[in-house]
Amino acid sequence: MYSAQITRANPTCIILLIDQSGSMGDPFSGDSARKKSDFVAEVVNHTLHDLVIRCTKTEEVRNYYHVSVIGYGRSVGSCFSGELGGRPIVPIAHVADYPLQVKSSYKRVSDGGGGWVEIPVRYPVWIHPAADGKTPMCEALTRVQEILRGWLLEHPRGFPPTVLHLTDGESSDGDPNEIGRQIMSLGTDDGTVLLFNCHISTRRSAKIEYPTEETSLPDGFARTLFDISSRLPTNFLAAAAQLGVNALEGSRGFVFNGDPSSIVQFYEIGTSLTGMTPYRWMDDRTEPA
Amino acid sequence: MSSAKQSTTWDLQLRQLLLPKLDHEASECEDAIAVDTQTCRFAVADGATEAFDARNWAERLAQHWVQRKSTLTLEEFREWVAAEGRELHDSWNGLTLSWYSEEKARKGSFAALVGVELDLKNESASWKAIALGDTCLLHCRKGTLVKSLPLKCSESFNSAPVLVASDSSLHETSMQSVVTDSGICQAGDVLLLLSDAAASWCLQRFENKDLDVPEFLSVKSDEELQEFFDTERMAGRIRNDDLAIVRIEIKRSKS
Repeated sequence: MYSAQITRANPTCIILLIDQSGSMGDPFSGDSARKKSDFVAEVVNHTLHDLVIRCTKTEEVRNYYHVSVIGYGRSVGSCFSGELGGRPIVPIAHVADYPLQVKSSYKRVSDGGGGWVEIPVRYPVWIHPAADGKTPMCEALTRVQEILRGWLLEHPRGFPPTVLHLTDGESSDGDPNEIGRQIMSLGTDDGTVLLFNCHISTRRSAKIEYPTEETSLPDGFARTLFDISSRLPTNFLAAAAQLGVNALEGSRGFVFNGDPSSIVQFYEIGTSLTGMTPYRWMDDRTEPA
Repeated sequence: MSSAKQSTTWDLQLRQLLLPKLDHEASECEDAIAVDTQTCRFAVADGATEAFDARNWAERLAQHWVQRKSTLTLEEFREWVAAEGRELHDSWNGLTLSWYSEEKARKGSFAALVGVELDLKNESASWKAIALGDTCLLHCRKGTLVKSLPLKCSESFNSAPVLVASDSSLHETSMQSVVTDSGICQAGDVLLLLSDAAASWCLQRFENKDLDVPEFLSVKSDEELQEFFDTERMAGRIRNDDLAIVRIEIKRSKS
């Protein structure tokens, strides 16, 4: 299980599900200058960049992944706009070809001889920050289930889909447990859908990352998210270890009260798939020229 | 299968096999084989799947290495790779690239390389080899493994080996992983140059003692070998990767 090779004939599916409710417009604790929604949009854009780069073969992007970015807040739907607007799931080559814009900057790198040189780098943007409305988590998960059902009909074999859900609060439209379990029961002949949840907090609370049991969790909401979080398959554990994250056999793909670094690691681990080395964009930051 | 008379004492029997991944075209294969019976040099390179222009880099490394008369010491190797890398990067100048290709090109290209040079001019046959990455040389004698480099056992293969980088700014650390070695051959010895999936599979056969690989690679036809490896890959017994195999048998000259 969770060992199928990801190929163009047998691609996998990655769904990024983002809470875009009004509270996402609040800052992280201790960082009043930075809204959660801004940071999450930045990380999602970097994640899409990472997925494109992994599939790039010289001048071609191979469709190893089909990608969906779903937001929920005032409404539920795809976060893609422009050429990709209105499409719930998109082959990665189309993602590559249709960012909304490509920002240019410069990066300082070693010249190999003890000095530094500045080289141009590109930062594509696919989604903009959004924070408005309530938290219709059940409706959003139902939308994800519809997308997955359609996709799995056409792709019954291969590495199972991964859903990376990020939220900062409780569902405003009911208990997500049932729909979460239904999503986790879908799958391919290589395993069931992987549903990972990352809860981020505005408060200064102790974060809990990749727990193995729910006894350590503080309340019913945390336990609900734990219940609808898949166990991390072995190859994801290897990616977590590379990032210095303490995830164990039996750890759930679940973070509670996460901070900015938790979000970055959550996306890196969640998209590591089949043990691929995560693309370390955090180590690859641009210094303005 | 081909034979080449190398001296009054020694002949070589050569065989090479290059198979792309299942469901891939031959033009997509990123493994490269180079054979030069004049210089008595042989090389296998394996372009890193995620790297920019990996096929070109692997072919360049293998083909140019066998044409040279040196690059068997670390210092020679380092200078040679730096020059090859510069030429590769120069070949990208003027290309109009998309943002993603540009990002890839910025990191340069990567490949594993193993090269071996045989000395068959004397009564005693010998080899010298250099390797960086997970393409391997296996020295076999009568169905047993005499030596393997740079990796020694099937469990040593992982998804992130240190590779030959086209960007010389990465050489400071990567060149520390270069392995050089040498050996003495007897008549009937077989040297195998293998890309990673083939090397891992082959070392596992020696460890399990369930197949005489040098013999197997000799007696089967190309079609039989292709069918065999396709079956092994479909069954998951060998990773679905490009396969490069060079079999060199050192034989006593008949005249």
